[in-house]
Amino acid sequence: MSELRQVAAVSLIGIGSLRERLGTALVVVIGMACVVGVLTSMLSLTVGLTRAYLRPEDATRAVVWGGPNHFDQARSLHPDAVDTILDAPGIAKGPDGAPLADAEFLMRLLSMEGFTAGSLQLRGIGPAGIALRPDFRIVAGQMYRTGTRELVVGLGAARKLGLGVGSEVRMRDGKWPIVGVFSCGGDIIESYLVGDAPTVMAARRRAGFAQVIAQLVDAKAFPEFQRWLTENPALTLFVERKTDYDLRTAGAKTAFFTRMTYVIGAIMALGALFGIVKIMYGVVRARTREIGTLRAIGFGATPVVVSVLAEAALLGAIGGLLGAAVAWLIFDGRGMWVWGAFKLHVSPALWLLGLAWALTTSLIGGLFPALRAGRLPPSVALRVQ
Amino acid sequence: MVKFIPLVWAALWRNRTESVLTLLALSVAFALFGTMLMLNAAYQRAIDDTRMDRLLVACAFDCGAIPLGYREQLARIEGVTAVGAQSWIGGHHRDERHPIMVMFVDQGMRAAWPELPLSSADWRALDANPSGIFLSHQAAARDAVRPGDMLAVTTYLGSNRADGNPAWYFTVLGFVPDPPGWKSGVATPTSNPATVIGNLSYLENSIQAAERGMVNLMRVAVDRPENARAVCREIEARFTNATPALYCVPARDDAEETADANINMRQISLGIGAAGLFMILFLCANGVAESVRERLPEFGVLKAMGYGDGRIASLVILEAALPIVLAALIGSALARVVDALVAHLAVTGVIDVPEVHASIAAFGWALAVALLIALLSAVAPLYRLRHIDVAAVMAGR
Repeated sequence: MSELRQVAAVSLIGIGSLRERLGTALVVVIGMACVVGVLTSMLSLTVGLTRAYLRPEDATRAVVWGGPNHFDQARSLHPDAVDTILDAPGIAKGPDGAPLADAEFLMRLLSMEGFTAGSLQLRGIGPAGIALRPDFRIVAGQMYRTGTRELVVGLGAARKLGLGVGSEVRMRDGKWPIVGVFSCGGDIIESYLVGDAPTVMAARRRAGFAQVIAQLVDAKAFPEFQRWLTENPALTLFVERKTDYDLRTAGAKTAFFTRMTYVIGAIMALGALFGIVKIMYGVVRARTREIGTLRAIGFGATPVVVSVLAEAALLGAIGGLLGAAVAWLIFDGRGMWVWGAFKLHVSPALWLLGLAWALTTSLIGGLFPALRAGRLPPSVALRVQ
Repeated sequence: MVKFIPLVWAALWRNRTESVLTLLALSVAFALFGTMLMLNAAYQRAIDDTRMDRLLVACAFDCGAIPLGYREQLARIEGVTAVGAQSWIGGHHRDERHPIMVMFVDQGMRAAWPELPLSSADWRALDANPSGIFLSHQAAARDAVRPGDMLAVTTYLGSNRADGNPAWYFTVLGFVPDPPGWKSGVATPTSNPATVIGNLSYLENSIQAAERGMVNLMRVAVDRPENARAVCREIEARFTNATPALYCVPARDDAEETADANINMRQISLGIGAAGLFMILFLCANGVAESVRERLPEFGVLKAMGYGDGRIASLVILEAALPIVLAALIGSALARVVDALVAHLAVTGVIDVPEVHASIAAFGWALAVALLIALLSAVAPLYRLRHIDVAAVMAGR
C-alpha cells in the first residue's frame, strides 16, 4: 500500500472513531469556535467601518485639503483656492461640462439629547456632491432646496438620533428644519446631516471649505493632478487618492481596536493551543493499541503522524467555521455607530482568516502528540491496556 | 477535607504532562478573563473619575474660541465657584513624528480644575515664570529634558506669534504625570501623553494682537454636582444671543456621551470575558469527566470502603477546584502583564486608553468564577458516580 493510501486509511480510521470520543472532540471544536468567534466578531467592526468609508468609486477619486490636519476638519480652503483646484488637469467633466468635483464644508453640531457634542456633523455640499454619490437617494420627505435653510439627514444619523422629516436642528441663526432622509448605499455620509454648502457657510459665517473631492478621468490621472496642485507656488495643498485617504481615516479610528483584537485572538489561541495539545495527547493515549496494531501490520510512522494532525486540523477547522458562522449570524449586517453609522461585516476574508487561525492553532497543537504517536514502538503500544 | 488532599494530589499528577497543559490552558484563559475585567473596570473608572461639578464651556457653533472676557460673566452666575480658561497649541520638539500639545492655563484653573496635577509651589513657579512649562513624564523622558532646560516647540499651523517665529521657547520647570491619568473630565487635549502645561498669560502676550483675548475652552466649577446641569442651562441661556454663543456640558456627562459614541469597550470586554469563561468551562468539565471515567474502579473501591456520595462529591469537587483556582491565581497575575501590553496599543492623540490597574474586585471575581466552574464541571461526573454499579466497576466491566 502506498504511503499516501496509508495516510488516507489511518486518517479515516481516526476520524471514524471520533464518535467514541465526542466529549474531547467537542472541547477542541468549542474552544476553537470561541477563539474564531471572538476574532471575527471584533474584526467585523473594523471591516464594516472601513467599508463605509471606502467606496468602489473612490479608486478614481482624489481628496484635496489645505490645512495641516490629516483629516477633513480644517476648513482652510479659501473659495479662490477651490476655483484653482477645479481647473486642475485630470478632473472628469459632468454631463453639463462642469468639472466633476465638489468643495465640501464641515461643521460639528450642538449636542442633542443622548448624543455627544461634536459627534454629529453637518456636511455642506454643492450640486456635484450629489453627482459624486450615485447611490444618493431621498427615502423620505424631499431634497433640501438650494439657498434655503433646509437640511436632509442620513439614514444612520436618523436612526441613531431619532431624527426625521420635521425635526429641527439648532444652528447659529436659528432652527433649521430637516426636510428629508437620504440613503447612500451604506456610505459614511449617511451619518451626516447634509445641506447646501454656500447657505450653511453663510449661516456659519465662515468662508473656508474643508476639502474638495474630485472625480478623475481615470486612476492614472492622479499623479499629474497631484503634481499640478502641489507644485503651484500660490497654493499650499495636500492631495491624496481617495482610497488612501479613506483607509487612513478609518484605520486611525480603528487602529487600537484592531491591534487589541489580534492580541486577544492570540491570547485565546494560546489558551486553545494548550488545550488542544492536552486533548490530542489524550486522543493518542486512547488510540495507543489501535496505533500499535496498525504499525504491527505494516503501516508506517508518517501515516500515523499525519492522521493525528488531520484529526486536529479537522476539529480545529470545524470549530473555526462554527465560530465564524456564529459571528456571521449574530453580527453581520448589524447597525453600529462608532464615529458614524455603518454595518458590521463578517466578510469572506474574515471567514478565511478565522479558518486559517483555527487551522494554524490546531496543527501546532496536534504536532507534539502526533510525533509521540509516530514514535510509539508497536511492541509497547500493543501491551497498553 | 484536608485528608483528601493526598488523594486529589495523586489524581492530578496521574498524568503530569496533561495536568500541566490543562493548568496552562486554564491560566491563559483566566489571564484573558482577568484582563477583560480590569479593562472593563478601567473604562468605567475613566467615567466615574470625571466630576459632575466640573463644567466644560466652549463655543456653541464650532467656532473654536471664546472671549476671555466671558470669564468674569461666568463667575457671576449663581452656583459657579470658579472659572478657569485654557488654550492649546500643537507642535513638535525636534521630531515631527512626536507631537506635543502645549496646554496654556490661567490661574483660575487652580480652583476650577484642582485635579490638574500642579502643586501650590508649581502654580507659584508658573506665575513667576510666564514662559515656564511642566512636562508629562513621557514627553520629558523622550527628549531627555531636565528642569531648567529650554524646550522649543514648532507649531503645525505656522506662526501665530506676534514676532512671526513658528517656534515657541519654554523653560522646563518640572514634570507632571502622563495623561489620561488626570481626572480631567475631557480628553482634549490631554489624550496626547506628551502634554505640556504652560502659562496662558505667556500665550496672550506672545500671539498677534488680533488673536488675543480668545481661548479654546473654559472650565467652570460649581458648588454642588446636582446643580451642574441647571448651571449649564443658565450659562447657555445667558449667552444665547452673544457672539459667540456658548455651549456647556458637565464633565461627567461629556465623558459618558463620548464613551457611548466611541467603540463600547465596556460591553466588548464583557463579551470577550464570557467567551473566555465558556472555554474554561468546557476544558475543565472535560478534564474532570475524563479523570472520573479513567478512575471508575478507584471510586468503586472507595465506595466499597464506605465512602458516601457526599465524601465522593467532595473529593471530585476538590479535584476540579484545585487546578482551576491555581489557574485563576496565575491568570490574574498574567492579566497585569497583558494590561500593560494593551496600554502600549493606544494610538497617541486618537484613542484614549484608561490606565488599567490590578483590582481586588477582578481578582475576587476570578476566584468566585473559578469555584463556580469547578462546581459546574463536577455535576455530570458526580451524577455518573452516584449511579455506578460498584461490583461491576471493581471487576473492570
